[in-house]
Amino acid sequence: MSTIIHFANTVFQPIIDLGAAPMMMIVLTLIALIFKVKFSKALEGGIKLAIALTAIGAVIGVLTSSFQDALTAFVRSTGINLSATDVGWAPLATITWGSPYTLYFLLIMVIVNIIMLVMKKTNTLDVDIFDIWHLAFVGLFSIYCGANLLIATLLVIFIGVLKIINSDLMKPTFNDLLNAPESNPMTTTHMNYMMNPVIMVFDKIFDKLFPWLDKYDFDAAKLNKKIGFWGSKFAIGIYLGIFIGLLSGQGPKEIFTLSFTAAFCLELFSLIGSWFIAAVEPLSQGITNFANGKLKGRKLNVGLDWPFIAGRAEVWAAANVLAPIMLLEALVLPGNKLLPLGGIIAMGVTPALLVVTRGKVIRMIIIGALELPIFLWAGTLSAPFVTATAKAVGAFPKGISQNALISHTTMEGPIEKFLGYLVGNASQGDIKFILYALGALALYLLIFIWYAFQMKKRNAEYAAKAAK
Amino acid sequence: MIKILAACGAGVNSSHQIKDALETEMGNRGYEVTADAVMVKDITEEMMAHYDIFTPIAATDLGFDPKIPVIDAGPILYRMPAMAEPVYDQVEEAIKAMK
Repeated sequence: MSTIIHFANTVFQPIIDLGAAPMMMIVLTLIALIFKVKFSKALEGGIKLAIALTAIGAVIGVLTSSFQDALTAFVRSTGINLSATDVGWAPLATITWGSPYTLYFLLIMVIVNIIMLVMKKTNTLDVDIFDIWHLAFVGLFSIYCGANLLIATLLVIFIGVLKIINSDLMKPTFNDLLNAPESNPMTTTHMNYMMNPVIMVFDKIFDKLFPWLDKYDFDAAKLNKKIGFWGSKFAIGIYLGIFIGLLSGQGPKEIFTLSFTAAFCLELFSLIGSWFIAAVEPLSQGITNFANGKLKGRKLNVGLDWPFIAGRAEVWAAANVLAPIMLLEALVLPGNKLLPLGGIIAMGVTPALLVVTRGKVIRMIIIGALELPIFLWAGTLSAPFVTATAKAVGAFPKGISQNALISHTTMEGPIEKFLGYLVGNASQGDIKFILYALGALALYLLIFIWYAFQMKKRNAEYAAKAAK
Repeated sequence: MIKILAACGAGVNSSHQIKDALETEMGNRGYEVTADAVMVKDITEEMMAHYDIFTPIAATDLGFDPKIPVIDAGPILYRMPAMAEPVYDQVEEAIKAMK
């Protein structure tokens, strides 16, 4: 045994010592080669991932160091302690992909998906390799909170299986929302739709108590057209710079600097996010080719990233209206430490609202406002983990205060983060956490089963309508 | 040079796949094509006026009617060449119609 450990240390320690970016370049290149990706493409992906990791660290450094003094003054002058910076999805995705465990969880979920397909437990082949990071985040968070790799893997598989089942449940609704024929293969296993069960509870309450509110639904596309560039990434950076600058008592020069810095950082986060997605692209194609090779001749649905329904204007109208609501909630919500910035346009929230309500925009906004605190608390809960992971993969700048935290306000899977927290702590043997974790997992499963039953009823109605 | 506008949720993932696929395939077919990837919510009539073809993932309600050809590019995302082929053919036909 000691010989094996010594051998592993001799081979891997020098690679680990190179740092996260070079290590991930090597690991991603090798994994892509295993899936028969051409060497030049595999290496290109590996290099892009290393560049994205390095770049995201640099931009987080600019953002956090620029806002550090203003946020301290903001807390002092307002008494509102929103000390964690909301950096949005791109840095979190890059940081999560900076961990080799993400590739491990990816391989596990590819195997789970193929097993479910072979056993005919699903009809969805998930080709959205990039978004495995949402699930990997939960696994990594549970490890951070105390779980061992086996427990974390079981948690990832448990949620992952429900995600795949959910993609089948939602398929007829996607056809309805897209006005697409039955032959349309688009569906998704995206984590944001795991909020569907909770949203459906609210939706059923609406059905019983407030159905009259639906008649006030407005034309979402017209609202979006009017908002125009005022809802763009850089405009949001400007607003937040002005907001924090004014409330922290900065002068005009400092307020302009804060605004423009936040604006360019938000733009750069997205740009760097696109490099990193391009980095994973050769591996995504390699895995899809591999899975297709195993399932020859079978007609399957294809699991994509969520935005194939981004053409529905309600997604953006609800996100635009929810942005100021979230800001107000963040200021008064007990236990919240996150000031919305990079995640203020709630793309991780509104697609699920669209699917459950089927485009009733007033319901989307009200239910969205009611569920946003869950996202803010989950973002706050995971902030120490996000910050520690960013430091571990070299994506957090040195010289920033040790107390500075980063996280994301509207990251997909808030409930799953709480599960990761409870399961992780339960793994330490604390009987209280074991009971909490078991209770939470049971409740999570039960509400999903109820939701699945409701969706099957909905799908039977679609089928009956199509048969007429 | 033909200019194509691709769009998705964050303007970084699905739309970039469509952009890369169209630039590569149209290049292979002998056309000079450049594509931009943006967020659906950022598209305006003014922006659209600078492009020749719009390639969303699926039906898209922009609040106005695009005056350029709209080609549903969703099948490119399935990562199966046979399913993407009809999209490339439609884009090629649109380019030919412009010339």
